[in-house]
Amino acid sequence: MRFLIPLLLLAQPLSAQERVQLTGEVIDTWCYFSGVMGGPDSVVGSAHHTCALWCSAGGIPVGLLAPDGQVYMVLKMAGDATTNGGDTNLHVASHTLDVDGMLYRRDGLNYIVVETVTADQDIINATHEDFGVIPGFAIPEDEAAR
Amino acid sequence: MRLAWAVLAAILASAPLSAGEAPKPTLNAALPDSLFPTNFGGAYRLTDHHGRTRTEADPDGNLQLVFFGYATCEAICTVALPIMSEMAADLAAQGIGVTPIVITVDPEVDTVDSMGPALAAHAPGLLGLTGSADDLAATRALFHVEAEPLFVDPLGQTIYAHGSHIYVMDARGGFLTLLPPVLSTERMVEIVAGYAAG
Repeated sequence: MRFLIPLLLLAQPLSAQERVQLTGEVIDTWCYFSGVMGGPDSVVGSAHHTCALWCSAGGIPVGLLAPDGQVYMVLKMAGDATTNGGDTNLHVASHTLDVDGMLYRRDGLNYIVVETVTADQDIINATHEDFGVIPGFAIPEDEAAR
Repeated sequence: MRLAWAVLAAILASAPLSAGEAPKPTLNAALPDSLFPTNFGGAYRLTDHHGRTRTEADPDGNLQLVFFGYATCEAICTVALPIMSEMAADLAAQGIGVTPIVITVDPEVDTVDSMGPALAAHAPGLLGLTGSADDLAATRALFHVEAEPLFVDPLGQTIYAHGSHIYVMDARGGFLTLLPPVLSTERMVEIVAGYAAG
């Protein structure tokens, strides 16, 4: 019997996806997880918005950062037929969204297919008040001087 | 616009902070895997940078890492392609054969002749695949990958936006999983080794 239990567990099929409703901020997952630009509090919200645009345009996948700290990698965003690399989500970078979608888990990661954005709260995480622009070079000097 | 890509390149090239400077978020959902919404991949027939026909099956029986991009990309490819090269080397050191592949989104620039030298320069060991625009579009569709022209740079080269996940495929071209290119190389090697172990 001691050997049977693990075998039974192995025989179980992968669980099905589940429908979820989440509220989260659309984040730049490269800077958030790599730590290259600073701590996690400084690379979200308005302080990091410009950099998030660069990264998103460059193909970095976006994630949804929920209030409990969980990150949901966005596999597809509503209205996008393809798995996204971030470049199709420039319009919601740093926005806090209420979404309805399907949650999947793979290799220790949360993935979400966003079927509906039920509310777009815009950029409400005013981190620039504490951090300014992170990183500063995200806004070139000649542009910042305007 | 070149300035924009210079900023992006600086962001992607920035060195990570040393340990302890900031609390580091982790990507770890301690819950069992669930089925993905769809399978990725399927039958395709392209040409590698040696001029050989290449299908979804690996002739050496290796696992495959598949990425869509281009050899001269200044954005995410400069991160993902070297990572794939490093992953293949690390996995080979563990006795796990892996073939890292980049399927071009720009067949006008990435030709049989041009891909090899470009890849050798910054991502040794990668196999470049190219083909007709139609064949490449059909292959992207199999993986649900977009490739949209963004703009033409001052040198006349079209810059594309494209999906950036690394697809892990078995030797026959069957989908195993996908990897966001924001994971550490070590974690991605660990995940692929897990699939290699069955």
